[in-house]
Amino acid sequence: MPKNDLDAAYQEGLKKMKNQLSRAKVNEWLWGWFLIAPTTIGLIVLNIIPAIQTFYLSFFKSGDFGRGNIFVGLQNYVRLINDQQVWFAVRNTLLYTLLVVPIGVFISAVIAVLLNRNLKGQGIYRSIYYIPVIATPAAVTMVWRWLYNHHYGLINYVLKQIGLKPVNWIDDPDIALISIAIVSIWSTVGYNMILILAGLQEIPQVYYEASNIDGANAITQFFRITIPMVSPTLFFVVITSVIQCMQVFDVVYMMIDVARPSYDRTVSLVYLFYNNSFKYLDKGYGSAIVMLLLLIISVITVIQVRLQKKWVNYTN
Amino acid sequence: MKNRIFSIVLAVMLVLTILAGCGSTPAGNPTPASQPDTSSKDNSSGGKPASSEPVTITYGLWDSNQAVGFEKMAEEFTQANPNIKIEIQLNGWSDYWTALDAAASAGTLPDTFWMHSNNIYKYASNDMLLNLNDYINASDKIDMKNYPEGLVSIYNYNGKQFAVPKDYDTIGLWYNKTMFDEAGVKYPDETWTWDDLYEAAKKLTKPDKSQYGFLAAMHNQEGFYNFIYQNGGTVITADKKSGYDDPKTIEAMEYYVKFVKDGLSPVIFGDSDRSEAITNGLVAMGFFGSWNLSGFSNNEFMSQNFDVTVLPASPSGGRASIFNGLGYAIAPNTKKADAAWKWIEYLGSKEGQLRQAELGIAISAYNGTADAWVNSNKTFNIKCFIDMVQYAQIRPYSNTTSVWEDKTYEALRGAFTGEKTVEQACRDAAAVMNESLTRE
Repeated sequence: MPKNDLDAAYQEGLKKMKNQLSRAKVNEWLWGWFLIAPTTIGLIVLNIIPAIQTFYLSFFKSGDFGRGNIFVGLQNYVRLINDQQVWFAVRNTLLYTLLVVPIGVFISAVIAVLLNRNLKGQGIYRSIYYIPVIATPAAVTMVWRWLYNHHYGLINYVLKQIGLKPVNWIDDPDIALISIAIVSIWSTVGYNMILILAGLQEIPQVYYEASNIDGANAITQFFRITIPMVSPTLFFVVITSVIQCMQVFDVVYMMIDVARPSYDRTVSLVYLFYNNSFKYLDKGYGSAIVMLLLLIISVITVIQVRLQKKWVNYTN
Repeated sequence: MKNRIFSIVLAVMLVLTILAGCGSTPAGNPTPASQPDTSSKDNSSGGKPASSEPVTITYGLWDSNQAVGFEKMAEEFTQANPNIKIEIQLNGWSDYWTALDAAASAGTLPDTFWMHSNNIYKYASNDMLLNLNDYINASDKIDMKNYPEGLVSIYNYNGKQFAVPKDYDTIGLWYNKTMFDEAGVKYPDETWTWDDLYEAAKKLTKPDKSQYGFLAAMHNQEGFYNFIYQNGGTVITADKKSGYDDPKTIEAMEYYVKFVKDGLSPVIFGDSDRSEAITNGLVAMGFFGSWNLSGFSNNEFMSQNFDVTVLPASPSGGRASIFNGLGYAIAPNTKKADAAWKWIEYLGSKEGQLRQAELGIAISAYNGTADAWVNSNKTFNIKCFIDMVQYAQIRPYSNTTSVWEDKTYEALRGAFTGEKTVEQACRDAAAVMNESLTRE
C-alpha cells in the first residue's frame, strides 16, 4: 500500500503543478490580450468591419445617400469583367508598380550604401533625402505639375534652352505614367533609404574584417556580405513598396483629370474606385473594384512570400 | 513561418486601410450650430416664435470669390435681424458635393446651401431638400414669377419648389485687345459668325506657336456646348437620349475641333490649363463664363488687355449661349427652418438680389436687377452677358449629369488628339451616354 500512497501523492502533486501552470499561463494570456486590445479594437472597428461591409456592398446597387440598396448578386462583378477601363486600370497599376518598385528600391539602396560611409555632412545628406517624405503628397504633386507644365514648366524650359523638343509630360499617353512614377520615386526614396540604412548598420564589422583577411575585394564583399545581411530589410521594403504602389491614388488624382487623353493609360484601380464610388456615386460597383484590388494584392504578396526563401537570409 | 505570418498580416493590414474608406461614410462634421437646437426646441414648447431667440444658421457654398461678398451680406442681414447669425461654410467645387453627400447621408446638412442643376434631381427625389411651396406662398417678398422661367423649373420637381433661384450665368467671348491691335484685326462684335472667328484666329496665330488665335479646349459648358446649340444640335433630347449622334451636333463639333486640327488652338484638356492659357497670353480669344468675372478683374494681365463680347453665331445665324443658374436650398431636417427661411427669403428678395448684383457677386436671377450687376464692373463690357439671355440655352442635364459628362469626355478626347474622326468620337460619345442614361 505505501507504494500506492506514494503514487497517489505524486499524481496529486503533478495535477496541482499543472493547474498552477495553466493558471499562470491564463493570466499571461489575459494580460497579452489586454495589452493588444487598443490596437485590435481599432483594427476591428476601423478596418476589418468596414472591409466586410465593403465586400457586402459589392453585391448591391447602391441607392442615393446610403438608402435603398438593391441586391444584385454578382452583377457588379460581371460588369467589372466586361469593363475595359477596369483592365486598363489593372494594367496601369501593375505597370506603375513595376516601374516604381525596382527603380525606387535600387536608388534608395545605392544612396543608403553611399551614406553608410563616413561622409562629411552625412546628417545633412540624410535630411535632404528624407525631406520629400515629410511633404504632403498633394503639395508635392502640385509643385511637380508646375514643373511638368507643357507651356510654362521649368523642365520644358530647360529642354528648350538646350535645344531639345519640349515633352508633353501630362497629356501624352505614352509618357504620363512615367511622369507619375518619377514623382512617386522621388517622394519615397528617402523613406526606403532610411530603412535600408538601418539594416546596413546592423551588419557587424567583423564579417568585413574577416573577409579582408581572406582577401575578398569590395565587390565580393557587397554581394556576399552586404546583400545577404540586409536582405530581410530589403524584403520588407519591397513588400511594403509593392503594396503602396498597388494603392497609388493621390499623385494620379492630382495630376490627371478624367478629360485628359492620358487618363486611360494612367488611371489606377484606387482612382477608378474613387471615381465610381464618390463621383458617380455607384458605391456598389466601386466596392467590387476594390475587391479585385484586394485579390491582386493578396496573390502578389503570397508569391513574394513564397519567393523570399530563395533570397532572404535570416540570421539566428 | 513566423516571418511569413508577419508579412501576410502586414499586407492584409495595409490593404484594409484603403478598404476602410469605402464601407463607412465619414460622419458630417458637427457644426457649432447644433447647439442652439435645444434652445429653439424650448421655444416652441414655450409658445414663443423661434426667431426671437438667437440662432446660428449655417450656409454652405463652393465659390471662394463669392464668399467674400456673402460675408458682407450676412453681416448686413444680422444687423437687420440681430437674433440670426450666419455662418458660412466654404468648400471647393468637387469637395463640396462629396461633403454634402456625406452630410445628407448622416443627416447633418447645413441649414441653407447652394444647389446646382447637376445635382438637383438626386437631392429632390430623395427628400434631401425642404419643400418651399408653403413658405413661398406665405411670403410677400418671394414670387416665382419674378425669376426667369427656365431657372425656376430647374429647381421644381413634381410641382414642389426645392430652391429659390440665386443667379444665372452665360458664356462670353473674351478677347485680347492688345493682340488684336498688333495683328490689325477688328474686335469681335455681335455681327460675328464662326467664319469670322476662324478668319480672325488664323490672323492671330503666330507661326512659331507662341500665340494661338482661339482656345478650343475640350470643355463642354465653356466650349463646344455653345457651338452645338448655335448650330441647332442638342446634347440631350427631350426623351432623355444622347444628342451626340445628331448630324447638327456632329457638324458643330467638326467645326469646333477644326480650330485644333488647323493649329489655330492649342490642344488643351485640363480645366486649370484653360485659364492658364488665357491669363498667360497663349491665346487671343476664348469662351469663358460670367462667373470668372471677379477672378479676371483681379488679374492684372486680364484687366489690362482683355474685353468680352457676345458669342459668335453659327454660319446660318443661329445664336446660343449656355445658361445655368444656382438655387438656394434649405435642409429638410433643420430645426431652425423659420430662421433659415428668413435668410433665404432675404437672399431671394428683390432687396437681397439687388445687393448681390451691386456687390458684383453674380448676375442676380431677379428680373430687372441686371443693370445693378452691369454697373458693378467698369473693367469689362459685361452687358453682353445679359444681352445673351434672350437666346440662352439651359445647360443640358438629367438625373446623372455628372456621370455621363465624364463618360462623354472620355469618348470625345480622341477627336481632339486626332486618334479618331470627329464623327466617330461623337458616335462613341452617344453610345456611352445612352448606356449611362439607361442606368439612371
